[in-house]
Amino acid sequence: MGAWEFYLVVILVYLGTDLLAAWGLNLEFGVSGVANLAFIVTIAAGAYAYVVFTLDTPAAGGSFQQYVGGFHQPFPIAVVAGALAGSIVGVLIGITGLKRLRQDYQAVAMLVVSLMAATVVSADTPFLNGNAGLVLLPQFTPFSDQDPETRRWLFVGIVAATCVIGYFVLRRFTTGPIGRTLRAMRDDELAASAIGKDIVAMRLAVQGVGGAFGGVSGALLVAFIAGWSPGAWAYIETLALLTAVIVGGMGNDRGVTIGTFLIAILVLQGVQFLPQSFNSLRLGLREDMGWILLGTLTIVFIWVRPQGILPERRPKYGGGP
Amino acid sequence: MSEASPILEVRDLAKSYGGVRAVDGVTFTAARGAITGLIGPNGAGKSTALNVIGGFLSPDGGRVIFDGEDVTGWPMHRLARRGLVRTFQLARVFGGLTTIENLLVAAPGHRGESAWGILAGKRYWGKQEEQLVLQAREMLRSFGMEAKADEFARNLSGGQKRAVETMRALMMRPKLLLLDEPMAGLSPSLSRQLEDLFLKLTGEGMSLLLVEHGLDTVERICGKVVVMAQGKVLSEGRMTELRTRKEVQDAYVIG
Repeated sequence: MGAWEFYLVVILVYLGTDLLAAWGLNLEFGVSGVANLAFIVTIAAGAYAYVVFTLDTPAAGGSFQQYVGGFHQPFPIAVVAGALAGSIVGVLIGITGLKRLRQDYQAVAMLVVSLMAATVVSADTPFLNGNAGLVLLPQFTPFSDQDPETRRWLFVGIVAATCVIGYFVLRRFTTGPIGRTLRAMRDDELAASAIGKDIVAMRLAVQGVGGAFGGVSGALLVAFIAGWSPGAWAYIETLALLTAVIVGGMGNDRGVTIGTFLIAILVLQGVQFLPQSFNSLRLGLREDMGWILLGTLTIVFIWVRPQGILPERRPKYGGGP
Repeated sequence: MSEASPILEVRDLAKSYGGVRAVDGVTFTAARGAITGLIGPNGAGKSTALNVIGGFLSPDGGRVIFDGEDVTGWPMHRLARRGLVRTFQLARVFGGLTTIENLLVAAPGHRGESAWGILAGKRYWGKQEEQLVLQAREMLRSFGMEAKADEFARNLSGGQKRAVETMRALMMRPKLLLLDEPMAGLSPSLSRQLEDLFLKLTGEGMSLLLVEHGLDTVERICGKVVVMAQGKVLSEGRMTELRTRKEVQDAYVIG
């Protein structure tokens, strides 16, 4: 496998896992109005769950890293565990936003949750090996008997299949009567409860489902990169997904798909191809260009095209005379 | 519940903001199948009373009995599901939904919102949805808004938004509808149509509690009228009698 072919595999896996995450965030934020700035924590939860379900016990691994669990389970079970972990963490995050806080305060509260979670995991080494993170996962677990090249492409296939299933599940929530009701909650919570909608139950349900998307995304990502540490899930990663949602078109699944491609691939990968000389202007500028571009794009879109590339569309029922 | 018992009974209701007793021991009943008016000068506590009855605010004291059941302090969504539905003084529409969707979303017990409905998809809820679309179109027609069916609600005028809110409440087929100034901002002809509609609905068994400033409207459609001033019930009776009462005239300059 040539370097370019390997790079293509990396890009495709990143795109797939980013899509799952961005769709989950769009369900929460774009469709339901829950500004979950702790979304990355659901991804982290899925990734860690995958790790501790895949690895053998710490003692069996020579005790050089510490973690809870070590269940030594096959790939599919570990991914399902990741989905569940993401879902549970999503609901827990949701509870922080339930007090009658205004939406902007909720966003801040969740951002703080994100920072706290990273701090706690970093500080508590016996839990998930702290700041050093967890490594030495058996890479591409599902097809260990295949040669490496085939394994990689089979893994791309798994990610693609998961995306297809994920998109189908997503559409079940963002379209039809339930999609309509969630958007009503987004537009006006008070009026929604006045027509009998249970806001608390809906918010928690949405964060459970969105969290499952994050969890699967994290599980697949960590299955590919074979290591996971607090550095991989800084709060700022949520902002990259948020930019994808805002640029693509809040509440529009197809728009968010385009937005994710644009942000995760064109921008964040594109900056890697900027000339090294960028760094002679200012140290680390080339690496930071991705974040600079993301922030700029968010501001430009909020000013000039707040509805995003593909605006939210609603079904037509016709109103003939 | 016997037909004679009131649909709503409010006993000694109290609600204060800081030191201000916005609602101060209010007691009244609203009859079944009738339109009860709640009037009074600005700041009399009508909207606060409505907010407490409708579950948006929890009362400091007193009881709210709806359809024979003590519903004091119930959250809004639970009251709405039980059949006590309210509208807002400033119309609140779902701006990101179209006009007709604003109506459809209010339909109670939609199968598409159940866990199984989400899982099974359209074949499980499609028929119900078709029925609801017909019903919603019919209602839009009766409000003269069928041409706006597919317009985003955020693009409607103030009066149209108010009409959408009323239609949305009616889609829930409530037992008791609390309306906070439903005529404000409507054209005279539309508000006359609305009066007729309200009378027709009571004929079908719905009950209404109406906060309204247009006293001609109140006189035309309300059976009993409750007059509030400074957080208390000042008087009650038919509008024609109330116009002659001294205490009402003093508190409330009747035009």
